[in-house]
Amino acid sequence: MMEIRIFQWLVPILALLFLISQLLRYYRGRIDLRETVSGILLWLSLAALAIFPDAISNAIAQVLGFKSNTNAVLFFAMGLLFYFQYRLYHIQVRQRRQLTQLTRALALQEFLKEEEI
Amino acid sequence: MLDQPLLTVILPAYNEAEVIGEVIAEIRSVMTCRIIVIDDGSKDATSACAREHGVSVIRHLLNRGAGAACMTGIGLARKMNWQRIAFLDADGQHVAADLLVLLACMEETGADLVIGSRFMNGGNTIPRIRRFFNSVANLLTNTFCKNSYSDTQSGFRLLNRHAIESIDLHQDDFSYCSEMIVQAEQLDLKIEECPISVRYTAYSMSKGQDFQVGVMTAFHFLWKLIFK
Repeated sequence: MMEIRIFQWLVPILALLFLISQLLRYYRGRIDLRETVSGILLWLSLAALAIFPDAISNAIAQVLGFKSNTNAVLFFAMGLLFYFQYRLYHIQVRQRRQLTQLTRALALQEFLKEEEI
Repeated sequence: MLDQPLLTVILPAYNEAEVIGEVIAEIRSVMTCRIIVIDDGSKDATSACAREHGVSVIRHLLNRGAGAACMTGIGLARKMNWQRIAFLDADGQHVAADLLVLLACMEETGADLVIGSRFMNGGNTIPRIRRFFNSVANLLTNTFCKNSYSDTQSGFRLLNRHAIESIDLHQDDFSYCSEMIVQAEQLDLKIEECPISVRYTAYSMSKGQDFQVGVMTAFHFLWKLIFK
């Protein structure tokens, strides 16, 4: 009989909780469809990887041409980290821009008020 | 004849209380013009010093960078319907008399954007490290331009109304210099360069970009071009 390790039931339960939360957030209008779908895919993938770790990591290794499934998982995780880093930087750029626009609008408003006086 | 009263000189400044008064006085000694200081969230008395010298000050509550300050100047020029604006570094690096050179160049060539080039004037003594950084920045910027420019990082620029209305800078840091040129070309604005003098002092050397800032500036410029 196959031994079930802790992460094999813990991760899917956590993934299920996050998945439900994601759906609720969508129904409440807090996130858009794109974010909902990408979130669902992420949590489903994590749950699947936890339930069938060997089968999935071997499949990834085969597709990417790695000899060992551990290397494949590490490579895949690094790719994900880079992607998240890219998204974070993108968010940071957007927020910096908004901050600049706000600073500029306030500065111009103040200046024009002073000039009127 | 140069239409001098129409010119507005904009000085983007960050912690320049030590020299801003001299820069304003020098500009006034050369020509009659409107002077505006954009205080980019300085921690010293830059705004107070500028006001003491009788110029108008726009103050950013937060330090947002040279590009952001420059774009605030352009935004103000749009609102006030100014016909020509010139940007000068507030650290005293530029020679105010060169404003006349830039104006004459704009008159003669009909350019929308005139860039004061430090490297077209053989008499300038430019530190080697600055020459190196600028040549790397020129190489990078010219790669994305149709024409080749000798000083893409110069902060001494003159814009006419067409350029004021068209240019919309997104870069907050020093990469705005390259962005402005690339954007002006994309908008089919006429760009000219003319020689200017420059004086490097211990003070102005301490104000410019160092290696780390230069690398980040290049990164932001490339990022914007690739992922815009």
